Amino acid sequence: MTLTRKRLVILAAVILAGAALGRLAMRAALNLLLGGTLFGGNFL
Amino acid sequence: MWGFIYAGAFLAAFAASALFKMTYDPTGGKYTVQWDGTVGTIHTDLPYGEGEANRFDLYLPADAGRESYGLVVYLHPGGFTGGDKSGDGEMLKWLCSKGYVAAGINYTLFGEAHPDANVYTQSAEIRDSIPFVLAEAERLGYPIDRMAAAGGSAGHTLAMLYAYRDAGTSPVPVKLVFGAVGPSCFYLEDWINMGADPHHPKAVDPSGDYSGMAGLFYAMSGKEITADMLADGSYLDAVKDISAAMWVDENSPPSVHAYGAWDRVQAFAASRRLDAALTGHGVPHEYLVFEHSGHGLQNDNAMYALYMEKVEEYLARYLG
Repeated sequence: MTLTRKRLVILAAVILAGAALGRLAMRAALNLLLGGTLFGGNFL
Repeated sequence: MWGFIYAGAFLAAFAASALFKMTYDPTGGKYTVQWDGTVGTIHTDLPYGEGEANRFDLYLPADAGRESYGLVVYLHPGGFTGGDKSGDGEMLKWLCSKGYVAAGINYTLFGEAHPDANVYTQSAEIRDSIPFVLAEAERLGYPIDRMAAAGGSAGHTLAMLYAYRDAGTSPVPVKLVFGAVGPSCFYLEDWINMGADPHHPKAVDPSGDYSGMAGLFYAMSGKEITADMLADGSYLDAVKDISAAMWVDENSPPSVHAYGAWDRVQAFAASRRLDAALTGHGVPHEYLVFEHSGHGLQNDNAMYALYMEKVEEYLARYLG
């Protein structure tokens, strides 16, 4: 695997992690204010 | 350089995902209307009383000239202390697009300016507003012969009080009530579990200090409620006037209600009593529990879509 390819794979992983954590953080904040479970329910 | 790219990409994905979670519409825009003159017209801030808040908006469908119309009153949320009818514009426009006359009604909010306002006085204002709404609709060429009461959160409570407690005073028959997350009754054993695990409720402690809850019920009802009244159960008489579930009987209108099981803002357990009352009296209804959500119904998209489908179905079936 070339260095550029490795960097692109890492970039994709970083974007996926950011998206998952962003959603979880917002969900946690809303749950804190309004109530709710963190991992149940819809994915979106 | 790649370090900065990684950090930037992470932050962008984080922010975009959080924003998406906040703004995602599980119905795919089905209930959003592109508003223009072909859908209807809006008349705002029409008076129904002497109070500054005694104003309503009317959404009139474009197909004028029918013999009669169904009215849907949709009451705004805000914890009885905030909010405005303009916040429900999207819902009111959708209802109007379905051919109903829709009305958003403001009521006097509890606060420094109006310390005597409470759920009871607000429900009385809504009750007193309906003849004005009907008269104005008729004056504008939209005679009303049936209606539905609806709302969100605090507005849901006021809608239920009108439908279950005050429907007998209504100038036109109340055919339907729908809404989400509104407190339906005020039993101590329900409210001490507000925000707690709904599957493992705690019992009332006979030696516990519930003076805070007495104060809350006092503020909501406008009637003095003491810790002693909580202990001997006499507080239930004092909160009956603001407890819609206690007014349900066999004549109550068909209903669609949605609640979040993990609600931190009002007592989810109270909604179970509402469901039991409707079931016990044979009232056609839908009781939709969002098992993973709180007051915002924010974690159960499929249930939210189902709720709106049921609202649409009940509107067609019972309001015509």
